[in-house]
Amino acid sequence: MLLQIAEPGESKVKEACKARVVGIDLGTTNSLVAHVADASPEVISGEGGPLVPSVVNYGADGVVVVGKLAQARALDAPRDTLASVKRLIGRGLKDLQAVRGLLPYELDGDDRAVSITVAGGKKVSPVEVSAEVLKELKRRAESSLGGPIEGAVITVPAYFDDAQRQATRDAGRLAGLEVMRLLAEPTAAALAYGLDRGSTGTYAVYDLGGGTFDISILKLVNGVFEVKATGGDSALGGDDIDREIATRLVPGLEKAPKKVIGAAVAEARRAKEALTTQSETLFELAPSVSETFARRKVVTRGDLQTWAQPLLEKTGKACRRVLKDSELTREELDGVILVGGSTRSPVVREYVAELFGKTPLADLDPEQVVALGAAVQADVLASGRQDVTLLDVVPLSLGIEMMGGVVEKLIHRNTTIPAGATQTFTTYADNQTGFDIHVVQGERETADACRSLARFVLRGVPPMIAGMGRVEITFLVDADGLLKVTAKELTTGTEASVQVKPSYGLTDEQVEQMLIDSFEYAEEDLAKRNLVIERVEAERILAATRQAFATDTELLDDDVRAAGEAAMKVLETAVAGTDHLAIRHAIEGLDLATKPFAQKRMNRAIAAQFQGVALEDAARKVGI
Amino acid sequence: MASPSTSSDLFSLLGLQPSYEIDRAALEAAYHERSKEVHPDRFAQAPAAERVAALSKARALNDAYKTLRDARQRAEYLLARAGVTIGDNERLEPELLMEFLEQREELAAARQAGRSAEVESLQAAMLTRRKAILAALSGLFASGNLADAKKQLIVLRYLDRYLEECEAALED
Repeated sequence: MLLQIAEPGESKVKEACKARVVGIDLGTTNSLVAHVADASPEVISGEGGPLVPSVVNYGADGVVVVGKLAQARALDAPRDTLASVKRLIGRGLKDLQAVRGLLPYELDGDDRAVSITVAGGKKVSPVEVSAEVLKELKRRAESSLGGPIEGAVITVPAYFDDAQRQATRDAGRLAGLEVMRLLAEPTAAALAYGLDRGSTGTYAVYDLGGGTFDISILKLVNGVFEVKATGGDSALGGDDIDREIATRLVPGLEKAPKKVIGAAVAEARRAKEALTTQSETLFELAPSVSETFARRKVVTRGDLQTWAQPLLEKTGKACRRVLKDSELTREELDGVILVGGSTRSPVVREYVAELFGKTPLADLDPEQVVALGAAVQADVLASGRQDVTLLDVVPLSLGIEMMGGVVEKLIHRNTTIPAGATQTFTTYADNQTGFDIHVVQGERETADACRSLARFVLRGVPPMIAGMGRVEITFLVDADGLLKVTAKELTTGTEASVQVKPSYGLTDEQVEQMLIDSFEYAEEDLAKRNLVIERVEAERILAATRQAFATDTELLDDDVRAAGEAAMKVLETAVAGTDHLAIRHAIEGLDLATKPFAQKRMNRAIAAQFQGVALEDAARKVGI
Repeated sequence: MASPSTSSDLFSLLGLQPSYEIDRAALEAAYHERSKEVHPDRFAQAPAAERVAALSKARALNDAYKTLRDARQRAEYLLARAGVTIGDNERLEPELLMEFLEQREELAAARQAGRSAEVESLQAAMLTRRKAILAALSGLFASGNLADAKKQLIVLRYLDRYLEECEAALED
């Protein structure tokens, strides 16, 4: 699903013609298009079969070639022949540091997006390259269906973040497609499986493609497809295995010319694919490609297993987490569905079988099943058919940044969409008249480690003492995954207007790192979060106590004052340290020490209230 | 959690009688059936007003399901429905508070030292305790003792926060 900030009332889906809508699987390695004819989905084939390699060649003459033809030119023109751009879409240079050295072409750009220089010095973006692939699929569908395509559902990895989804949608638009919906790939696969087999039960969909990994757990019952939980890694796939094989067999490959890298990785892929049916194969990088890097070596399935193991274990970790999120054990699953070209490998199948304790299902072609499901969803949206209801989820949590940089999550990951959440926040400073709202996406506890989606300011908060101003923030996510954020000042009962400025892509945080870090730094995050929360609370209490000691001296007995001041000293020392529990204890200590005083103030405030003093004044005197 | 004053009753949204005891399978089946009727995808081609109506109905339904599915949230909702609110800063009884503070320290120490087996045993102990509280709630709701139910729910909040920390420690 797509997460983006939308102005209210913005139109999303145009009226789509019932006849010609398609589902498109825009893959890292291969892409394909499908449509629904007579209630069942079919893949649309062209010359060379249904799969279109996601490869685009830019000729010096300005001619753009897509698919198998482009692939054929890869060896002669590696810099002008772009493959696997799905790994680059919606990413900035920083996000791509890890793979950059092993890509056979040149990357430029900034932290928000990259571009690739091809023949004739022309610069193209991953969005444009993807659009070329989509145009090819559109041409195919139009010639097969005999007319213009009115709408398309394009699939994306479930774990794609906002920037990646937005970029994919842009590619669709650039290709002249009306993008009716972006659909999560594993959900699409489950849709195709469920309809094909009339299945009922709980299934895990293990989707390992060329460049992405998704794991989703769905419940299928009476035409309802409910996603229970989803997870994954949007930069992990078969490509990584290819590169691993190539670098293991060709030492120093990172320093080789781009052309040699391209040839070595292509040979590694061929070897990997050969090991699907054979137990060993010969890896050969001919001296004609490079004298320095020439290699001939036998590779066995055992080698592949060893080299792929670290990658497979990463997928295993994500699977265990998703099971936990869906409150299920592996025994409660009725089956595991394999999706993605990389799951053809017996090495992957054996790993999945062991991980889930059951033989995975692969009776629908793992490379076609996603497009088939997308076609079904396109048909649902265009025709309003009644037999399929898809309940999808938010893949990554949505929240706002609080005082101190801590994230307060309003909508948690795996919440079913459409979803809404409302939370009230109080002003932090005296006479604060504005409220900064920073919307973020991700699992980390601090805002700087999450993806920034939007920032805006709520103005017109009436000047009040800290804690009295209350702002209600509402998050609404619709069935398309579009997020709308509104803020309202509550104390005065008036609604203030907000300006939403989309800012996704502006953070220079590495997306990948962000996702991985959320697992690895959970402890550090939590400690940081606790510390910030306790410090903020401590400062607030210290300020309030000092204020009250100064104004209500007549209610303050000497011994209470002494105890209170001692407790404040303890708290100040704790705040200077980094132990959140010490701060918590000191807060409770101060609370205890000043209790008699607080009681007196409360009694007086209540008395004042009965004497007709305004409630706000009473509350202020008590320091609420 | 949704406030009962601003949205219609969560139980009736799902066609169920308000009760702490709930048949999860029946709840899920009711949710699926109603989702079929109101899901926005069904109204993708409908006039804007119908689309907006479907969207808000589906959202309310999703929220109701999420709240009622979880025992703690369901219990809190039942209290809120009866006018008993639990504030954000409800305090535990002093002796319970002390106990929790000690246990948190124990957890923090185990976590810091990377003793995951110890974290697991602390977690298991807390989960047992959680089960006991949920069982107690069942009796309290049955007898209509909302004041004591509230006390248990305050404990449950502390306990769940503790369990979250256990989870985070085990993710390391």
